[in-house]
Amino acid sequence: MIRLGNPQLRIFRPNWFLTLVRPGKEQPPDTVQFRIPMEMTKCDVKNYLEKIYNVPVGAVRTRIQFGSNKKRNHLNQKVKQPDYKVAYVQLAQGQTFTFPDIFPEKERMPTEGSMEEMQEKFMEDEKQRQKLDPRRGGVTEWFGL
Amino acid sequence: MAARTRLPLLFSKNLPPFKNQKLAHTEAAVKEPTYPPIVPSLTAKSKSARGRQVEDHVKKICASPVDEKLSLITRIQRKKFVVYPQTFARNADRWYQHFTKTAYIPGLPERFALDPEKRTGVEKEESSLPAGAQTTVPGVEIDAFADIRSLVTRMILQEHWHMKKRKPFLYREQEQMVGPFLRNLVTGLTYSLAKYNPLLPLSSLDIDPQVNFYWRRGQRIIPKGHRRGRQEPTRFQIDDQPHSQIRITQQLPQFTSLEASYAAEVPEVAFAPNLMPLFRRQYDNNIFTGAKLPDPACYGHTQFHLVPDRYHRDRMARQQQSDQVEVFLRANGLASLFAWTGAQAMYQGFWNHEDVTRPFVSQAVITDGQFFSFFCYQLNTVALSVETDANNPRKNLLWGTESLRLYESVQDGAVVGLNDDVVKLLVQFLVNQP
Repeated sequence: MIRLGNPQLRIFRPNWFLTLVRPGKEQPPDTVQFRIPMEMTKCDVKNYLEKIYNVPVGAVRTRIQFGSNKKRNHLNQKVKQPDYKVAYVQLAQGQTFTFPDIFPEKERMPTEGSMEEMQEKFMEDEKQRQKLDPRRGGVTEWFGL
Repeated sequence: MAARTRLPLLFSKNLPPFKNQKLAHTEAAVKEPTYPPIVPSLTAKSKSARGRQVEDHVKKICASPVDEKLSLITRIQRKKFVVYPQTFARNADRWYQHFTKTAYIPGLPERFALDPEKRTGVEKEESSLPAGAQTTVPGVEIDAFADIRSLVTRMILQEHWHMKKRKPFLYREQEQMVGPFLRNLVTGLTYSLAKYNPLLPLSSLDIDPQVNFYWRRGQRIIPKGHRRGRQEPTRFQIDDQPHSQIRITQQLPQFTSLEASYAAEVPEVAFAPNLMPLFRRQYDNNIFTGAKLPDPACYGHTQFHLVPDRYHRDRMARQQQSDQVEVFLRANGLASLFAWTGAQAMYQGFWNHEDVTRPFVSQAVITDGQFFSFFCYQLNTVALSVETDANNPRKNLLWGTESLRLYESVQDGAVVGLNDDVVKLLVQFLVNQP
């Protein structure tokens, strides 16, 4: 671990892996949020991103998220969720980053002749039958002579 | 018979009313009852009652004298964001511009332009100058300017060459090396320029003063707690300690009119201030210019700031963060000047609901010994909270320069590469008068 006072430590193949996460709360556009192993420090994160991934890093702020110890299992024992460290990295040189949409909405077209297609067609016909006569212009059935 | 004799008496009494028909109508109108004005209650547990309480509080503050106004505005302590003028946060100047509703204009206003044509143009208007005298600064003769140059070189040599100083302690370099130089410079310049600026002999030069300002801007919905879901104004406090400042008895003239600031652009930041990062604390709300309220020198002239010791220009350049160098200086100038001009306006009785009628103007110089940056600030509005900012087209303005080198280096008892422009700007700043 890099600390003030420790001898200069060079790690050539670090056994640390960073996880890019989508921020829970809205962050400014130049801020990227990572989950990092507990042993890493701010300097470690900066050097890691700059040397391995060539990402220009401006500032790094870290915090440790406490994993809750409140839940209990079927034996009434407390179950601990693991703690993890979160790093907020601000990019240098005016770069921005937005977390991409990993699960975009897709137009689901059911395949021909399958059950889904018949079911969808049936539902559409039912809905069409429920609707009122368009010639009445939105007025209900019971209103009239 | 008796009734007959009495009749004229009765008749005479009734005569005047029946003669004048108008009197009968006005008497009937006066007899109608009047009701007191219908206003929401004061003590009910409702939103309109709370609104009426707020209105009454505002009216009470408007009607009281200045010192009571200040104490009423800063009375209640709540959690507020502490804004540090010297901050290493990235893009701090954009955030601070949003908090203070300030537009940044690069370069200085026309008064301080360094073009020779403009200077000669101003010279012709100056009647006190003898014909044919070439001056580098309007109003200051060339001999006096040479004196000032020699004064500056003497100060630099005194601190860096003549005086034997031990190697400065860690992070105390600015305090030991540049602090005395700046102090001598400021005192020497004010003394030599006192004859060109009639305000300077009456001014007050503070060394290491305190400047505080408290204001509210923006709103947020409280996420958790017993007040969840309600709107809460975000409060800010600046506590600044410039190296030195000059306060004068009259106000400096405005750089541009109030209406010219309507077109300026202020960067809007949609995120909460704590993402900057900025932290909240609760303590005394202070509003202070550098002197207490009854002081006659209540208007500000110039502030001088020292850069903190952890600010290493070359280290930032090595880490490819050269743009942050200027950002830091701009944020510092902006926050310090906003706090100072805001406090000056509060001392005159202008506050959130009573906006300033004339712009308040101040100047600042930020230096680290070699590099000087000059800032001019014009405060056009103090009404920054949500209800007063809705229809407020006025914006505050900040003019600023990039950092200019004063001298290259000191070698063999001589200063190499003294930049005349910087000295000229310093002199112009100090000579600025209404």
